Amino acid sequence: MSRVLGMVWLTFREVWAKKITLGLFVVCTILWMLMAFALNLDIVEGSLTGVRLFGQDTGAPTETRQDEAGNSVTEALSLETFVVTIQAAVAGVGYWVATLLGLFAVAALLPSVLDRGHADVLFSKPMTRLSILSGHVLGVAAVGLLLASYLFGLIFLVMSLKTGYWNFRFLLSIPIVVSMLLVMYGVMVLLAVRTGSSALCLIVTYGLIVASLVFLGHEQLRAQINPPWRSVFVGLYHILPNFAEVTEPVAKLAGIDAVTRWYPYISSLIFGACMYVLAAISLVRRDF
Amino acid sequence: MSHAPQAAFQVSQLTKVYNRGFRKEGVRALESLDLHVAPGEIFGLLGPNGAGKTTLVKILLGLVKPSGGTATLLGHSVSDARARERVGYLPENHRFPGFLTGGEMLQLYGQLAGVSHRDRQRRVPELLDLVSMGRWRDTRIKQYSKGMMQRVGIAQAMISDPDVIFLDEPTDGVDPVGRKDIRDILLHLNGLGKTVFINSHLLSEIEQVCTRVAIMNHGRLAKEGTVSGLTSEASNYRLRCGRIPASIVSDWRLVEDAAEETDDQRTYTAAELELDRLNTLIDILRANNVMISAVERDRQSLEDYFIQVVGRESTP
Ligand SMILES: Nc1ncnc2c1ncn2[C@@H]1O[C@H](COP(=O)(O)OP(=O)(O)OP(=O)(O)O)[C@@H](O)[C@H]1O
Ligand SMILES: [Mg+2]
Repeated sequence: MSRVLGMVWLTFREVWAKKITLGLFVVCTILWMLMAFALNLDIVEGSLTGVRLFGQDTGAPTETRQDEAGNSVTEALSLETFVVTIQAAVAGVGYWVATLLGLFAVAALLPSVLDRGHADVLFSKPMTRLSILSGHVLGVAAVGLLLASYLFGLIFLVMSLKTGYWNFRFLLSIPIVVSMLLVMYGVMVLLAVRTGSSALCLIVTYGLIVASLVFLGHEQLRAQINPPWRSVFVGLYHILPNFAEVTEPVAKLAGIDAVTRWYPYISSLIFGACMYVLAAISLVRRDF
Repeated sequence: MSHAPQAAFQVSQLTKVYNRGFRKEGVRALESLDLHVAPGEIFGLLGPNGAGKTTLVKILLGLVKPSGGTATLLGHSVSDARARERVGYLPENHRFPGFLTGGEMLQLYGQLAGVSHRDRQRRVPELLDLVSMGRWRDTRIKQYSKGMMQRVGIAQAMISDPDVIFLDEPTDGVDPVGRKDIRDILLHLNGLGKTVFINSHLLSEIEQVCTRVAIMNHGRLAKEGTVSGLTSEASNYRLRCGRIPASIVSDWRLVEDAAEETDDQRTYTAAELELDRLNTLIDILRANNVMISAVERDRQSLEDYFIQVVGRESTP
């Protein structure tokens, strides 16, 4: 176990030495400071009387719902509903920010481990190749967890302290963000093992994220595509990671509505698992 | 009771073909290689560039998969990670993470090799002092010179107190004093009963420390034996004597060293003679009334021998 921890330490040491942690820390801090300044709430005795966004008075937020008689009524939004709605939106944005930043931060790590000259020493140690890879991925997971906890944790603190309403469901975003970061990192691991190029890792991974934006409209698109290509499109939709679609469960988990569709998340997890299995097979077979 | 000593490592019929993508023919780096190194030896492997020396070491360390044959290291198959438990390795062209300090690097590799925290605290400063790098312990590796990298690299190979150490070109980039230091370290390790395996181009180095050497060429073992055994197989002799008749000089392809000519004494060199042929030559000279005052064996250096073996092999 101590040996695997050695790999975790190496990952942290590299992230630290390359000032990546510093960069992430600064970006996250700026983000939550913007949040703190932008959102100014007037709270009088526990109820919301006004919201100022970037200094603009938006008045007290309202919600429209149906009363028992079926007439729509507009009334002042409760503080809880307001906080939770905002937090759901923030979780969705945070999911993108944390994953994109995180992936960028870790893209060069594995190519550096597999670099000829360094890999020779590492893989000559009395550890299996799989335990070295596991230690590395564990290190990346830990980096991702720290990043997500810092970003989400601070935003959570700021909003909760300001409103006095503690919506702990917001923190459920953290494990989802970390797991999606690892899913996308699986692509990087496979490419790094096969090619050793960190540029390629970034291009393909970000490419898949952009492609997943197209899949947001997969239901409408499917109808417009001609039959032979339609099945290709549907196949790709199921095979490739549905990164963009996962924004919805992340937001809903933090908000009021229950999550209705876990499929994009689960199919992404399966995709990620396949990437790691393929990467492990390539790594074990490879000559250094 | 006597039984064959357990090998430090042993390879038999070892073959490696590197694939080079589709359609291209693979590179045959090793061809049915047999080699046995006993515990406690300092074994030197020589060979021209591309002979397959590094490939052999990498197969033993599990870095490269053999295409055929078997290889065992300290009694374990090389595909088993446990085989590397008591082994140290300094690769050629190594690049340790530049962001680590020398001390951190040794700590890390010690931890990965399964050295306990307590032992690491003790061994890291000890080893850095052994390779004269104690002062540089807290400096980042990216600021080291080439020879300094090589020194900490050797310390790295010794961190787990291994029984077998593989050094691929250990003196590459090291100054003469450093080379002497490294030779002393190797002899010291050997004194502790460790097996040392060196790949090198620096033949003089191998000659000075190795108990046994092998010469490899085109993935095959060309010669194997002790340094003195290999270099004395056929020797050059220097004869100090009176003038030798021209017919004998040309028959025996003797070379006269004009610089050492005096009134009645000449010096001739006879190249690559076995002992019995030398004696035949002496008989002939005596029959021709040539006065002989000295016969010296001109011991070949390993380098001459190397060039002779490798040169001969590469001419078709
Ligand atoms: N990873 C690899 N992929 C393809 N071919 C390789 C690889 N590594 C080595 N080779 C080839 O195998 C042969 C033997 O190489 P090797 O590195 O074992 O030689 P060497 O004896 O160590 O040479 P040098 O003295 O230059 O270090 C060479 O022809 C080389 O091109
Ligand atoms: Mg080599």
